[in-house]
Amino acid sequence: MAAGKDAGGTAATSRAPLEPADFAKLEPWLTQEIGAERVAISNAALLAGGAVQQNWRLSVDVTGGPRGGSHEWVLRTDAAASLDVSLDRTSEFRCIEAAYRAGVKVAEPIAVSSDLALIGRAFAIQALVAGNAQGRRIVRDPALSAFGDALAREIGRELARIHSVRPTNGTLSFLPVPVVNPSRREVATMRKALDGASEPRPALEYILSWLDANAPEPRAITLVHGDFRTGNYMVDNGRLTAVLDWEFCHWGDPREDLGWFIARCWRFGNDDKVAGGIAKLASLLDGYNAEAEIKVAASELLYFEVLAAARWATISLLQGDRFIRGGERSLELALTGLMPPEMEWDALDIIDRLAERGRIT
Amino acid sequence: MSQPHKKLGAEALLDLVAEAFKSEIAPALPADKRYLAAMIGNAIEISRRELAVEDEALAFRLLDYVYDDGDGTLPQLARDIRSGAVNDATHPELRARLRAHLADELNVRNPRFAAGRGAKA
Repeated sequence: MAAGKDAGGTAATSRAPLEPADFAKLEPWLTQEIGAERVAISNAALLAGGAVQQNWRLSVDVTGGPRGGSHEWVLRTDAAASLDVSLDRTSEFRCIEAAYRAGVKVAEPIAVSSDLALIGRAFAIQALVAGNAQGRRIVRDPALSAFGDALAREIGRELARIHSVRPTNGTLSFLPVPVVNPSRREVATMRKALDGASEPRPALEYILSWLDANAPEPRAITLVHGDFRTGNYMVDNGRLTAVLDWEFCHWGDPREDLGWFIARCWRFGNDDKVAGGIAKLASLLDGYNAEAEIKVAASELLYFEVLAAARWATISLLQGDRFIRGGERSLELALTGLMPPEMEWDALDIIDRLAERGRIT
Repeated sequence: MSQPHKKLGAEALLDLVAEAFKSEIAPALPADKRYLAAMIGNAIEISRRELAVEDEALAFRLLDYVYDDGDGTLPQLARDIRSGAVNDATHPELRARLRAHLADELNVRNPRFAAGRGAKA
């Protein structure tokens, strides 16, 4: 199941926090990884945020090889609490590489390691990219009216580039290709997750039954980012600089990403700006359809909005269970666990509207 | 000023705690504690509202539509909807009843969201 950035069941582990001195151990490894003669890490600074994983800014001097020169890179550690629905750091890195090759704006992937002997956890290194990724700040930017529509078109083009990656010639062969309708697969995954949840949700079960009965056939199976929403891309001066958080990447129906992006729960209160709280839907689809091989109409996305709402409702419930059942004493997790009725309401609202139009029961 | 309370108990105390926390404690906290303070204020308010309603009474409003008086539970309803035993054909008002139940929940958990969506308890 694709999910929110720190969603899912957990296997909490405690580890000593990293210290800047730990990064000296990376120098010989990195020298080999990037084909350099010598690598020196002159500074390491912990960046703000990152409750689930840590982000360190590294100042790196490279001598020789294709990356010779001074660089600012970011080292992202694996989550301290590993998540059973997300890709491991190496698999995520391979997805980022595939997206990078397809021309998607991502922080350039540099190197990845799952060798715990290095710094005690898996990590990936990417180029540092300027920008802000805080959803609430982006949708409340006073200049949003000036850049929102152009940003949405840009995001549409990026999504289309992600969806240009297809499961052919062994691309990302570690990701399972769906053998059933990918939307029904999502429903099955959510039902399985709900089987172990602490709270019964009849409305959510109703929504899942509706999704199962009304699942459209995919017109293509493509790479799906799985968590592309406002808050998971970086913006600098009103321009997109990087798409973040690829740990829920999978093969699926590309409309799933569009539905997730426009879901009401990811508009941060800017409900009239359907495209992620930043712009009108037409702008997003203009950008998408200008680049995509398979064009998408707005009317196709209502189903995927319901799917997105159901997914976030399920994830929220699981977040609450991390406190109730998993022993993670977090007020934020507990409050998130109370949110499912919000997404269920929005999903039933769409289903009601479709039923009134006589399109779907 | 908030409504008077029927008795001096948990709900009334939490009403005062929420007010004191929001008006006197939270504003005095440093900036890096504001998010936590907002969550604490929210949690107190949710707890106060939950005490003011009877959870079971809300559930029965939904369950009594589907099951004989007193026979059903929410886990059973969830199972029956998934299995298809309870659906729009067997219970034509099912979706409307589910929405009414959600409106009840939202008015406890997030009244601002409920008001914004016109979800009346």
